[in-house]
Amino acid sequence: MSVWNYVVTAHKPTNVTHSCVGNFTSPQELNLIIAKCTRIEIHLLTPHGLQPMLDVPIYGRIATLELFRPHGEPQDFLFIATERYKFCVLQWDAETSELITRAMGDVSDRIGRPTDNGQIGLIDPDCRLIGLHLYDGLFKVIPFDNKGQLKEAFNIRLEELQVLDIKFLYGCLKPTIVVLYQDNKDARHAKTYEIALKDKDFVEGPLSHTNLDNGAGILIPVPMPLGGVIIIGEETIVYCSVSAFKAIPIRPSITRAYGRVDADGSRYLLGDNAGLLHLLVITHERERVTGLKIEHLGETSVASTISYLDNAVVYIGSSYGDSQLIKLNLQPDAKGSYVEVLEKYVNLGPIVDFCVVDLERQGQGQVVTCSGAYKDGSLRIVRNGIGINEQASVELQGIKGLWSLRSSTNDPYDTFLVVSFINETRVLAMNMDDELEESEIEGFCAEAQTLFCQNAIHDQLVQVTANSVRLVSSTTRELLHEWNAPSGYSVNVATANASQVLLATGGGHLVYLEIGNGKLAEVKHVQLDYEISCLDINPSGENPNYSTLAAVGMWTDISVRIFSLPSLELLAKENLGGEIIPRSVLLCTFEGVSYLLCTLGDGHLLNFLLNLSTGELSNRKKVSLGTQPIMLRTFSSKDTTHVFAASDRPTVIYSSNKKLLYSNVNLKEVSHMCPFNSAAFPDSLAIAKEGELSIGTIDDIQKLHIRTIPLGEHARRICHQEQSRTFAICSLKNCQTSNEETEMHFVRLLDDQTFEFISTYPLDTYEYGCSIISCSFSDDNNAYYCVGTAYVLPEENEPSKGRILVFVVEDGKLQLIAEKETKGAVYSLNAFNGKLLAAINQKIQLYKWMLREDGSRELQAECGHHGHILALYVQTRGDFIVVGDLMKSISLLLYKHEEGAIEELARDYNANWMSAVEILDDDVFLGAENNYNLFTVRKNSDAATDEERGRLEVVGEYHLGEFVNRFRHGSLVMRLPDLEAGHIPTVIFGTINGVIGVVASLPHDQYVFLEKLQANLVKVIKGVGGLSHEQWRSFNNEKKTVDARNFLDGDLIESFLDLSRSRMDEIASSMGVPLEELCKRVEELTRLH
Amino acid sequence: MGSLLGDWPSYDPHNFSQLRPADPSAQPSKLTPATYHPTHNRTLPPPNQVISNEARNILLRHFYQKSEEKFRPKRAASDHLTSEHNCKQPRAAYADGAH
Repeated sequence: MSVWNYVVTAHKPTNVTHSCVGNFTSPQELNLIIAKCTRIEIHLLTPHGLQPMLDVPIYGRIATLELFRPHGEPQDFLFIATERYKFCVLQWDAETSELITRAMGDVSDRIGRPTDNGQIGLIDPDCRLIGLHLYDGLFKVIPFDNKGQLKEAFNIRLEELQVLDIKFLYGCLKPTIVVLYQDNKDARHAKTYEIALKDKDFVEGPLSHTNLDNGAGILIPVPMPLGGVIIIGEETIVYCSVSAFKAIPIRPSITRAYGRVDADGSRYLLGDNAGLLHLLVITHERERVTGLKIEHLGETSVASTISYLDNAVVYIGSSYGDSQLIKLNLQPDAKGSYVEVLEKYVNLGPIVDFCVVDLERQGQGQVVTCSGAYKDGSLRIVRNGIGINEQASVELQGIKGLWSLRSSTNDPYDTFLVVSFINETRVLAMNMDDELEESEIEGFCAEAQTLFCQNAIHDQLVQVTANSVRLVSSTTRELLHEWNAPSGYSVNVATANASQVLLATGGGHLVYLEIGNGKLAEVKHVQLDYEISCLDINPSGENPNYSTLAAVGMWTDISVRIFSLPSLELLAKENLGGEIIPRSVLLCTFEGVSYLLCTLGDGHLLNFLLNLSTGELSNRKKVSLGTQPIMLRTFSSKDTTHVFAASDRPTVIYSSNKKLLYSNVNLKEVSHMCPFNSAAFPDSLAIAKEGELSIGTIDDIQKLHIRTIPLGEHARRICHQEQSRTFAICSLKNCQTSNEETEMHFVRLLDDQTFEFISTYPLDTYEYGCSIISCSFSDDNNAYYCVGTAYVLPEENEPSKGRILVFVVEDGKLQLIAEKETKGAVYSLNAFNGKLLAAINQKIQLYKWMLREDGSRELQAECGHHGHILALYVQTRGDFIVVGDLMKSISLLLYKHEEGAIEELARDYNANWMSAVEILDDDVFLGAENNYNLFTVRKNSDAATDEERGRLEVVGEYHLGEFVNRFRHGSLVMRLPDLEAGHIPTVIFGTINGVIGVVASLPHDQYVFLEKLQANLVKVIKGVGGLSHEQWRSFNNEKKTVDARNFLDGDLIESFLDLSRSRMDEIASSMGVPLEELCKRVEELTRLH
Repeated sequence: MGSLLGDWPSYDPHNFSQLRPADPSAQPSKLTPATYHPTHNRTLPPPNQVISNEARNILLRHFYQKSEEKFRPKRAASDHLTSEHNCKQPRAAYADGAH
């Protein structure tokens, strides 16, 4: 039963909705603060660029973000208002690096019609009040008293009902707003009001302008000494103040964002919906405005917000494309553009559609999204885990170990690859043609398995075999010195660094050697109680060639011990517990923090904080990486050290913000790995796997990898076809022809490897692609692409005509095989029992695939089902059909084969306006609706009465805070049958803000456990700004607000791992669970995405 | 038009001075900030700074204002006039400021 669900974000929102600049973190520091719907990011301006400081989750969808400076304060405060009528004022406490809440509150009214054009929030430039326009006809005031404290909020009646923008004017004795509004004849005007705080009322203000540009949409108040306001229209820009009125015509465009450049307000950057950036200049003689000028600067992503930062660098926040950091140059480039893009920040929003495919056929899901809009439309390939790009491979069975060696200490590149087998050691070397060929190091013993080898100081090489340690010159390759194991003993395990060797023989003997010039010296020997299973002397202190600590893993008592070097004194001992022996230990340092990593034979990894001076181990944590023994090895990528854990589930261990993270490597099984950095294969890894040795480069070390395929047009639907190895998309392109803008719609075919357009089918004028699937029909083995369309005519409210087009891919071309006219928009298509199920306006229609006498095929209507407002989203399972309606929530239909009819079985009688549906299992269906909620409904087939059976019971409710456009079954991570997480079914969703999330259906006991953890976490992790988690996650629409149930907030639960040790302990003890187990269970959840 | 474009404001000349202008196809920025999870007690504001709406509905407030005016019909008229005069002054002041 998929009733107990866990919702977690795999990719955070990237749609930038607001940005502002000010001195937030210190009076001397300049910050850029950006809002990504439910999160804010605080950045610091530095000589090297924007430095991200903090990512702050907000329990609300941000409607207003403003920095302001209260009287007498040395630095700015941050005002945030949320769409659910909460607000808070935040202050940065530099001493503790915490956000402190100065004020907060709830300013929702019980009665009131929410504004159609969005909420407006504004702060008086003289800090006398905060103004909010939340409901039509009302202007809310939160006054400041003379000490800067906020007071009770009150409403003022605002006569204008269709408000487009409100701003405060500068330099007014009394706080004065300018209101841009539309009257009931659709004409636009601006007028001003003074706010009489004592009377709680408006008084007519100094300015008013009637009959503005029909597209007037943005007000820009101009600071003193000029004062007044700029009104941005689609064809004109006007400036007006009490003393001046200036207007200029502009090339028709819709301005979406502006950013003030100069403090005196004489220049502004304007961004339009084609991504063009203009500079608007108020020319003036002293304080007298003489005119307006506009200058085209260049092109950026379509801006939703523009913030001038410093020294000609500007931040462009975008909802439709990647956000950018740009520089305004004094001279134009070859294309006449003054804009230079310095950096890009990935934005997946809006994710309109996506599909989950396994392109590499490795059992690893990838999400391919239709992202962005207009010219910034793109496909994004989102993949979890770290990819290895294989450069070369050779078949080699039975590899027992791998090491790379340089031919001299100072050589930047590796020359040799030493491959060890059970009875021999082979050496591969790069030849002059940059090919890997069999070679020889004369001084090495080739007839035995190598246990370890290493480049040593003084241009020497070290090889350890069962019988001896050999010191070899790397220039002459001749044996210089040899240390032999005492007779009757053989070396079992060994390790070395550039100047030290540590080995263990049977009987628990631990021997420590130091490497001199041409000489190996046995320095110390101790006998331990038990046999030694693994050891490490990787230098993690200051000297890269010498370690003062040794880590040793033991049989029998299952412990790991830290010894000092050279004295081999025991410094610390940690019992690992259980019966599984440690198989690999590693001393390493990430981001200045030293760790001891230790893996067990059953695929678990333990990590400890290591005190380098005392050898003490603390903060033990355990995670499960796989099921087989793990071999640990360090490697470097982009000058940072990471650890590769070779096992049945290869993993890279790395550190971000001083927290250890585990990222899957997209390979099935790796037994050994070593870094191999040769001239021909720079920065590569040599990997031994399943009878094969391969050399490949590794992706950047991060959890999610995103590849962008810019389309230059807006992709709206996507699907993949395995048989033809293609993607098909429905897309639209805005075309500028002379002075008219037109839309053209296409069905395009893309190669699934290169993502190039290989074929295009243009749709008719006014014809939109609404749905696309790849399917086969009964009695026909071909794979087809079916496309549903609608003719969207300007004079029609709802489309009354559409088509279903059936294509086959032949020679890489889309061939139209059949087409069927429909009586409306084909919102959804599904392969259904070898037939085609279409949702056409208010009807569900089933088509058969019929063979005509002449051998051609056609779609023939079989049966249908009426009774929807608009059937927008359809999913099927067996004979069941789940319909998500425009405004009538979810209904369940059944196709009856014998009768050839579709009947309604049950429906949810709530009035949810749906945005996506998915079937979780036979009985439970998942829905997303347009107030950003998720809910689940259950079929009641066992109920006693017809009435009950006909009702889908709402079993889960949750406020996601994101608008979901699509659910798809699938997983971003490689599924391993042995792992517990492998059994948890998951659904992926994509949202307007560019969020990719996962809904995981948990077993009941796990749900109960995590629900308890969540309840404990809510007490410890506070909502920023005092906002409540419970209220944030409560299901909320116009009709009701109820507590979340049967959904868990995975983002909150996984933030457990970010807590300090003491907080974790606190929670573990209040839950009555050992901390190690709690960490492990949460860590496992993080591997769901 | 060069004059319009020059002289960009500079608050700290060091900012961005060492940012290498990468080519436009530059790799997207990958720096990820730490996620903030406050555990301190100052996420709650001082008690007097938990703001709510005034209890009296705007309509009721309007009625009460009206009824008060009714109780003092004549004197209120002169009050009203002076208050209107007061209103005009800021406008003049505003106009002054604009010159």
